[in-house]
Amino acid sequence: MLAFIVRRLLALPLVLLALSLAIVGLLQFLTPEQRAVAFVQNEQQLRNLDKVIREKGLDQPFWVQYSNWLKEALRGNLGFSKASNKSVVETIKERFPATLELALFASVPIIVIGIWLGTLAALRKDSWLDQLARVFVVVAYNVPTFVMGILLLVVFYGFLGLAPGPGQLSPENQIALILNPVPRRTGMLSVDALLAGNWPVFLDVLRHLILPVITLTTVSSATLLKVTRSSMLEVLSQDYIRTARAKGLPDRVVNLKHARRNALLPVITLASFTVMGLLSGAVITETIFAYPGIGSWGAQAATLFDVPGIMGFAILTAIVTVVVNLATDILYALVDPRVRYD
Amino acid sequence: MKKAALGGLVLALGLAFAAVPANTLLYMQSADIPTLDPGATYDTASGALVENIYETLVTYKGKSVSELQPLLATSWTISGDGKTYTFTLRKGVTFHSGNPFTCEDAEYTFRRNLVTNSPESGNWFLAESLLGTSANAEDDPSITWDRIAKAVRCDKEGRLVFTLPKPDPAFLAKLAFAGQSIVDKKWAVSLGEWDGTEKTWKSWVGKDLTDSELSKKPSGTGAYQLARRDANTVVLTAFPKYWGGKPKIENVIFQIVKEQATRIEALKKGDADAVETGPRPVLAQLQGVPGLKIMDDIPNNTATAIFMNQKIGNPEYLGSGKLDGKGIPANFFADINVRKAFNYSFDYDRYIKEVLQGKGVKRTMLLPETFFGYDPTIPTYTYDPQKATAYFKKAFGGKLWETGFVLKATYRAGSQAAQTAMEILKANVEKLNPKFRVELVAKPWSDLLKESRTGGVPMIIIGWAPDYADPDNFLYTFYHSQGYYHPRSNCSDPILDQLLDQARQTTDREKRKVLYRQVGLRAYEVACYINVPAGLGFIVYNEKLKGVEENFNPMFSNYFGTYFRNLSK
Repeated sequence: MLAFIVRRLLALPLVLLALSLAIVGLLQFLTPEQRAVAFVQNEQQLRNLDKVIREKGLDQPFWVQYSNWLKEALRGNLGFSKASNKSVVETIKERFPATLELALFASVPIIVIGIWLGTLAALRKDSWLDQLARVFVVVAYNVPTFVMGILLLVVFYGFLGLAPGPGQLSPENQIALILNPVPRRTGMLSVDALLAGNWPVFLDVLRHLILPVITLTTVSSATLLKVTRSSMLEVLSQDYIRTARAKGLPDRVVNLKHARRNALLPVITLASFTVMGLLSGAVITETIFAYPGIGSWGAQAATLFDVPGIMGFAILTAIVTVVVNLATDILYALVDPRVRYD
Repeated sequence: MKKAALGGLVLALGLAFAAVPANTLLYMQSADIPTLDPGATYDTASGALVENIYETLVTYKGKSVSELQPLLATSWTISGDGKTYTFTLRKGVTFHSGNPFTCEDAEYTFRRNLVTNSPESGNWFLAESLLGTSANAEDDPSITWDRIAKAVRCDKEGRLVFTLPKPDPAFLAKLAFAGQSIVDKKWAVSLGEWDGTEKTWKSWVGKDLTDSELSKKPSGTGAYQLARRDANTVVLTAFPKYWGGKPKIENVIFQIVKEQATRIEALKKGDADAVETGPRPVLAQLQGVPGLKIMDDIPNNTATAIFMNQKIGNPEYLGSGKLDGKGIPANFFADINVRKAFNYSFDYDRYIKEVLQGKGVKRTMLLPETFFGYDPTIPTYTYDPQKATAYFKKAFGGKLWETGFVLKATYRAGSQAAQTAMEILKANVEKLNPKFRVELVAKPWSDLLKESRTGGVPMIIIGWAPDYADPDNFLYTFYHSQGYYHPRSNCSDPILDQLLDQARQTTDREKRKVLYRQVGLRAYEVACYINVPAGLGFIVYNEKLKGVEENFNPMFSNYFGTYFRNLSK
């Protein structure tokens, strides 16, 4: 197993190299002017467009641009992102923890609801619970994230006043943080506030997480629920389940140990995609709730043709993908003893 | 016990959410804040904070955009030849770092701006006044340390002296621009910024200061200092040692909320004192909402025009390139009859009614009516199909009316206002003669800018926002053959050039006023542009907020149009 993990991790630099080459290559299809406009905020600044092109080396040949980027990247400098007006490394350091925080809080309900409700729906096929789960899937699957997010915001924040407004903190805690700052240990505000024992800030961050987490849970758990349910139904109709029941094993053991464990394999694959998606930033959810994650930065970098930004975002996403894939493979082995990597 | 803890958590999570505290100003906007370094400030999002953290030598007097008053300076004198400006500086002023403000800081600030003068910054117009060129030393090797040092220096009495190569009537107005705010020299140098010496200046030429150390840790003399900044929030607190006394608003929070619906909800709930609302149709959602105040009919300080390029550079836009009804010749708009015919074809009133929802002003010249030099008595074109027909019939010796044309007009993709303006023009022109065709082309901003700046496009609609409150910033830009917009219009008129040059050479306001009236009259005569009516602005804010209406000045970058220190709740 260890050899497998090391092998997979060793492949990571190659993946990153290929990815960066592809991005720089693709961006060459845009003219230097188109890329330089990323640095222009108003009509007036345009008078210096040629200077911007020269200074940023946007008119250099592909290989020169790429090798310049690579040289700096190897020294840990991923360049300056126009989308965040900061260095890429600083942007990632600042924003990734927020994304991680949102993903952590959202993955628990997504996976629990998806797997738990999916299993229950399959076990009680055609019951009211199953019907309800199916309606939930249809609704959640068909309502786009931005509609769901804005709907939740308007109803629970605007109309009912049950949830707080956008951002991570209410105004009073924004101010309280000036006098009593929370030391940045993990970058995740909830965790840092908890570590510092700052309860008002911790609870405020949790409050602000409610709506984004509900949005993500609704949208992402539907698919998981659907797959768990159908996978369970398939397994439950297998001969070995009938045999297990015939042997007199209690329902609980049959359902959870014999059936669900086998039904989980496709669910793990899907869950890994969901986690990957969450860790690459939930662009729409972050935008609607003004959450300072990497998703909204990545989207902005793409619209601005912000090359270092796009590159930094892609590299981060690639690392996340490799790591989550690795974790998924390990999980396969744990769930299914037949899976061996050695 | 468990139940009690759970109950406590639910209660804590479910508590009612209070509105913005009375000592706090909270504003939500969609734009990111690029920098807090004045040396790189050239956008309104940065300017909104920079103008409250730092201070300029002079500022606008109340609501006026033409009168200035001292701020960090207490008085100034201008030499008889208009080339030397001497500023007496305010005493007893402290920077946020604790350093006292001296002439050395002011000298350092302007020298730093002249040395760096990066392409992203607005320092080109400072350089234009002080060095006689908008370039930095990299692009213009004739700029030496000696020239920079002589242009701005402190005299023995601790006064700041500017020496201009030639008179510039707009110079004072340029100093009121947030980008020319005074920075704390000692603090900046301690952070690793330029040390202000001749020895090192060359290595700072053209340097982009957007993400400078000073931007991360600003220290100004303004009423507010930076307290906290993260990816989506900037928090300022009142500076206790501010020379003008402690302001009533103690905390200012700027929150970046990209989604308009979210911002509007926050405004309605009282969780923001004001938000970036977006265009006028949004107003319908906010009218009658309790607790909100709407300030409408705010003068527009930008000018927008439909450009008629007299020397179209890109053959792709010309079709056949001839007067044969299948395209246009490159000099299509060089015929004044064509330009006048187009001017008479635009339905100004319909544009005001449909696009500006009745809230618009028809302009006599491409200059905001609040600016000194604007003359409302200058004649304007009106929508008149008969006159338009008559001019089209005269164009190209009558040939154009017979052959017809196909014109490609471009506008910025996604801009509803620009699209509607072009559609109005298209419909009216095509109505006159079945052989006339106007094809509308929507272009992404980057493409539009790229093509129009080289004069490739026959017709575009673009605007200009002021860098500083002087008519020269608009009129020279649009009408002079050396003006910034010249390559897009190729409007060259020796009389306009002469008038604008004369207006640049005198600091006598009355003389300039007369000259600008003549510019307006001549511009009407030569009809280089179609003056698009200007939409009136509006702002919506928490009704508890006081001091907005009394102080609102459109030259400020921030939404409230005044220093935050003038506000209270």
